[in-house]
Amino acid sequence: MKQVIDARGLEPPQPFELVMEAIADLRPGEGVKLLLDRMPYPLFRILDRDRYRYESRVRDDGVVEIDIVAP
Amino acid sequence: MTTTADLSLSYEAAPTFSTPLRFFLTAPLFGALAGVVLLFVPDLLGSRWTPGALALTHLIAVGFMLNIMFGALFQILPVVAGAAIPNARIVAGIVHVGLATGVASLTWGLGAGSPPFLNAAVVLLGITFGVFLVAAGYGLRRTPIAQATPRDLRFALLGFGIAATLGMALAMILSGGLSLPLATVVKLHVGWAWLGGSGLLLAATSWVVVPMFQITPNYPARLTRYWALLTCAALVAWSAAVLAGFSLLEFILAIALAALSGAFAITTLRLQTRSRRSVPDNTTRAFQLAMSCMIAGLLCIVAAHRFDHDVWPVLAGILILHGGFVTAIVGMLYKIVPFLAWLHLSQAGMKAPNMKKLQPDGPIRKHLIAHAVALAVLLIAALSGSTLVVRTAGVLVMLEFGLLFANLMRVLGAYRIARSA
Repeated sequence: MKQVIDARGLEPPQPFELVMEAIADLRPGEGVKLLLDRMPYPLFRILDRDRYRYESRVRDDGVVEIDIVAP
Repeated sequence: MTTTADLSLSYEAAPTFSTPLRFFLTAPLFGALAGVVLLFVPDLLGSRWTPGALALTHLIAVGFMLNIMFGALFQILPVVAGAAIPNARIVAGIVHVGLATGVASLTWGLGAGSPPFLNAAVVLLGITFGVFLVAAGYGLRRTPIAQATPRDLRFALLGFGIAATLGMALAMILSGGLSLPLATVVKLHVGWAWLGGSGLLLAATSWVVVPMFQITPNYPARLTRYWALLTCAALVAWSAAVLAGFSLLEFILAIALAALSGAFAITTLRLQTRSRRSVPDNTTRAFQLAMSCMIAGLLCIVAAHRFDHDVWPVLAGILILHGGFVTAIVGMLYKIVPFLAWLHLSQAGMKAPNMKKLQPDGPIRKHLIAHAVALAVLLIAALSGSTLVVRTAGVLVMLEFGLLFANLMRVLGAYRIARSA
């Protein structure tokens, strides 16, 4: 089952630190789901750089969901 | 459910740490210069119209506030709105130099009544605003208009553009190059600079930064959806009333604008009471002071309409500029600068120190205390008219901005050490 990181309500950079720790442990093809209060543009830059695949959605309740898959 | 597709292009050009930092480190120098003016021209608080008061106001509003606001926008646009300013380094270089030389020329021109310096300021600040607004507008062109922050940032840029155009017209009126009714243009310039530019930018930033860093619930959706729209509409209607000379309508719309500003300040204070922090941190304290000063400043504006005395506009100016905007900006800076240092270190693949190590609480508290004391002494100076108190306020203002500069340099020092480790 995919790991879910609920980083809502945390002060920056804690959400960033949590997700970086989680994705560091992923094996190729494995993924995590990240829940946030807002779109994490700086994180996307790092995911792009390190070739992670990701998809972001804004739910109707305003929560941002990001699915990240390790390269 | 809304899917956000291909965002990579919009943050490809995220700025280097030095891009916003050069503005953040220049701003306190203009703040300290405001203290020097108070020290050596102690009779300037007698009225908002004295040359010294005009120079002082622009050292704070343009030299300090706008430097930080422009610097922050280079960062906020890509990080918060996903909108990158093209060729950010080159644009930042032009805007930074243009703003610094333009504000120096403007304040000297206003203080000394020198037409050549005023004309130079028109050219320098005209180029600066033109370059920045075109570049920022280009960056924002693809961001979603439906989201409150990117939409309100657009409004703020438009407001700054109008305020700057009116300011340049004023400088040309004062230098004898343009013939327009001075009092009307001043009124419009103040309204648009205060609410159309700075107020809208503060609100658009607060929608994101207050919940994010002060761990509060989000602002009510109705407020973020309609506040900027209503404020812009009221500003346009108020401007029309000013131009048409409908003084009663102008007064009613001024009260409406004050009520909108008050609603923003009160909502922010109420959100802070619901923060998940058990003890308010320095930024929360700064915002509490800022919003309280905004409300007190609004009451002084209402009093200025009711009672014809020079002290009310001066008190309003001190409370709104120094107490409101400067305090809120400083509160945000103490979150944004260490966060950026941390982010740039992390993005470079380095082990970033804890945020508290990058920016310890103790020196921030010292600075905020110095700032609050300077504010109180400035208010006493305006009320008493005592030369000694004005000079004391000048020394305190120099001290507070010196402490801010030292604290920002401390973050830069910690960043450099971490980078070289």
